[in-house]
Amino acid sequence: MIGLLLWAGLAAAAPTADEMVSKLATIDDRQRNSGDYKSTVYIETKESGKSDLIYLAEVFRRDESDKLVIMFTKPAAEAGKGYLRVDDSLFLYDPTVGKWERRTERESIGGTDSNRADFDESRLAEEFTPSYVGQESLGKYTADRLKLVAKEGIDVAYPTIELWIDQASGNTLKRQDFALSGRLMRTTYYPEWQQTMSASKGAPVWFPREIRIYDEVEKGNQTVIVFQQVVLDPLDDSIFTKAWLEARSR
Amino acid sequence: MRLLFELGLRNLVAHRIKSIVVGGILFFGVLMVVVGGALLDSIRQSMARSITSSLAGDAQVYAADSPDELELFPMGAGGAVDYGEILDFPKVRDALKGVDNVREVVPMGITSAIVFGTPEIDRVLAGLRDAIDQQDLPAREAWIAHTRVIVDGLGRDLAASRASMRDQAEVDAQLAVLARVGQDAFWDELRADPAPALELLDTKVAPLAVDGKLLYLRVIGTELDVFSKNFSSFQLIEGSLPPPGEPGILLASRFYERQVKDKVARDLDALAEGVAAGDTIAGTSTLTLTASRLPKQVQTLLVQIPPSEAGSVRDRIASELGVDGDLRACLSALLTVDDSTLAARRALFYEVVAPHIRLYEVPVGQEVVLRSFTKSGYQRATAVKVWGVFTFTGLEGSDLAGFSNLVDMETFRSMYGRLTAAQQDELAGIRAAAGVADISREDAEAALFGGGPAEPVAQAAPTERAPEGASTLALNAAVVFDDPSRGPQTLEALREKVAADGLKLDVVDWQAAAGLVGQIISVLEVILVVAIGIIFLVALVILNNTMVMTTLDRTTEIGTLRAIGAPKVFVIAMFLVETLVLALIAGALGAAVGVGFVLWLGHVGIPAVADIMVLLFAGKRLYPEVGANNALLGAAVVTVVAVLSTLYPAFLASRVPPVVAMQGKD
Repeated sequence: MIGLLLWAGLAAAAPTADEMVSKLATIDDRQRNSGDYKSTVYIETKESGKSDLIYLAEVFRRDESDKLVIMFTKPAAEAGKGYLRVDDSLFLYDPTVGKWERRTERESIGGTDSNRADFDESRLAEEFTPSYVGQESLGKYTADRLKLVAKEGIDVAYPTIELWIDQASGNTLKRQDFALSGRLMRTTYYPEWQQTMSASKGAPVWFPREIRIYDEVEKGNQTVIVFQQVVLDPLDDSIFTKAWLEARSR
Repeated sequence: MRLLFELGLRNLVAHRIKSIVVGGILFFGVLMVVVGGALLDSIRQSMARSITSSLAGDAQVYAADSPDELELFPMGAGGAVDYGEILDFPKVRDALKGVDNVREVVPMGITSAIVFGTPEIDRVLAGLRDAIDQQDLPAREAWIAHTRVIVDGLGRDLAASRASMRDQAEVDAQLAVLARVGQDAFWDELRADPAPALELLDTKVAPLAVDGKLLYLRVIGTELDVFSKNFSSFQLIEGSLPPPGEPGILLASRFYERQVKDKVARDLDALAEGVAAGDTIAGTSTLTLTASRLPKQVQTLLVQIPPSEAGSVRDRIASELGVDGDLRACLSALLTVDDSTLAARRALFYEVVAPHIRLYEVPVGQEVVLRSFTKSGYQRATAVKVWGVFTFTGLEGSDLAGFSNLVDMETFRSMYGRLTAAQQDELAGIRAAAGVADISREDAEAALFGGGPAEPVAQAAPTERAPEGASTLALNAAVVFDDPSRGPQTLEALREKVAADGLKLDVVDWQAAAGLVGQIISVLEVILVVAIGIIFLVALVILNNTMVMTTLDRTTEIGTLRAIGAPKVFVIAMFLVETLVLALIAGALGAAVGVGFVLWLGHVGIPAVADIMVLLFAGKRLYPEVGANNALLGAAVVTVVAVLSTLYPAFLASRVPPVVAMQGKD
């Protein structure tokens, strides 16, 4: 009987499919900026038995036309390397050899545990179909736990993910990525969110100030991404071109 | 003594069944000792030649604190290995070259790299972009024509596969893009305003093409000129060594032909090799399959042949084969081969088509970008010129030896990417400025969501600064001797020198340096010794039993001998001589047949049927040699076994009392 009541309570609390899609759309929308986006990002990866990988990079985004540029600025030996994403194509430029290479969505950025999606516009509603797992506590937060399966034909880094969404703020607190086999690949935490007023959107835009990624396959490996500075001013069109990255790298 | 010998012969004839059985066992034992010993000696010699003259030298030195044991010829894929570091190689070289019998010390460093092959369309678009940037109008038009050929092919392929695609709406959208790019108007737009058109080609058209191939390289850094002079198997078969001080890579011939070469050419080569080995396309399933897929690769050739050269290629094939149609039809005819046409069409391919395509992804004379992960984990791209192609003589057919490519030491050091002190300081500064807390996986949720901001955890102390080694680093080094026959003494002297100078190095012989491959000879030795041991153990038991039975059968005879005054020693000697005569006859026959068999093998050769055997045999066939030592060893072993097995029955016989003969008892 108790089980039945609990099930009934859960059933009553569980959002409908439309509500979940709407929730994802809200997450996407809160982070979406109709204009441009620029930030300075600190990336640090620790791997057991190895030296830490540390980068400082500039990230430029134009969500309206699905464009993204990640350009490393420090350390000096890595400065000038960069990624350009236009639509579904991801290119890597290395100034030491002066050549572009086409890379896949799963490309780890600079050999770290992060990938393109960690720096890109959130497109959860567009890329995934959600289902409700339940309500869970995450420290002092109460979160809705959703399971998201990639829609057919959409190239994403991981085909299944789970999200823990703060009921109070609607922000993502935790994310787990699973391989096609169902194996847990990595766990990501978003401990801090900030908002900045966007003139082009006419509303605030949310972004995580810090992302912590823990590798669940290679235990002990972790990556920290800190968005040090976010600016939503319009960017020059030329930034999202190969020529710009080549010129900046010289 | 003569009497004993005559008695022995008489008894052998009188008990001929016993003699044949025991003699047969001894014969096979000796045969095995001679043949097995000769084969092992020959393999040991050929293997030493393979390993010492290709990569190992007579000895290797590497860091004593190396986490992994050196393995110059890794079997299987293997993972990342860490052989430690020799930070001041010049110091090590100076020290070791002072040791007697050391001719040279060759620095080395083993790493791996990936080469991303450029898809043809990306290569063509890069050319188009460059031509536009440089306002080279003729070049621009040539690249446009080439791009249109590729776009046309993509459209054909996509339209042909549309029916089998799940998302036909997406295919239709892609076909619409290709149709637009196929129009003259699109190219007029590109001429007027290149950027948007180039972007569309880059992002909407190029992804429709097949990805470029990935090449995984095993790379060994060394001083190329020193290496070439000190490793006698090294043979440059194309190109040249880089000039002194210039960076460069030499590709291994087997890797170059099996991995770097164009797929169509490789398939034609594989068919030719199969036919040369006695197989036929019609009768061998693998060759039939290879031949059947050749015509399906026409598109990969079409996109590579520049439109300006397509006409001449088409005309030549059409006239040679007597076919009609466009270039596609002619190429398709050229690649349709059977046993009767293979040789001619392959020759025509190399003569007419190959000069117009990228026969090798990274040909000699061009630059290749080696992508590697540095010691500290950063991705490193190193552009280096391919100066030549080499092989190790005798090991042309070995994947184990044929997939190691050579680069100069400076390129290796760049790929290895040891952080300098200044670089370590820079990273520490970036990290300090970011002020990021260190939170472990286990503490993450409590620290991040526990009710307050995460408590910063003190960052780990900076790692201890290691000496620079930027221009003096090596991971291991080959030591080449003047006289390899003095190997053990020189190894000992090297170890003493290393200890005396506090160099903290391990000194290993070529066999240990080779890794598992080097242990194969020891395994073979154990197998041979065990097999021979079993044979002679069986011989010993049978011989012993037979002699005991013989003793019981011959009680009257022995008793009579004793009765007429033969001492016990005489009886013992009689049995021993009898067995020794048998052993001598069987041993001589076994050794003669064994020597003859090895001589015959030495004439026809033993084929290497597996990759590892090519390395062991130092070539595709082993031509064993037999020495007097092998025959002498066989004779010695058979004598010992014969004597041992006869001792107990002889002793038993000597105890037969004379009275037994008088009683007429058996």
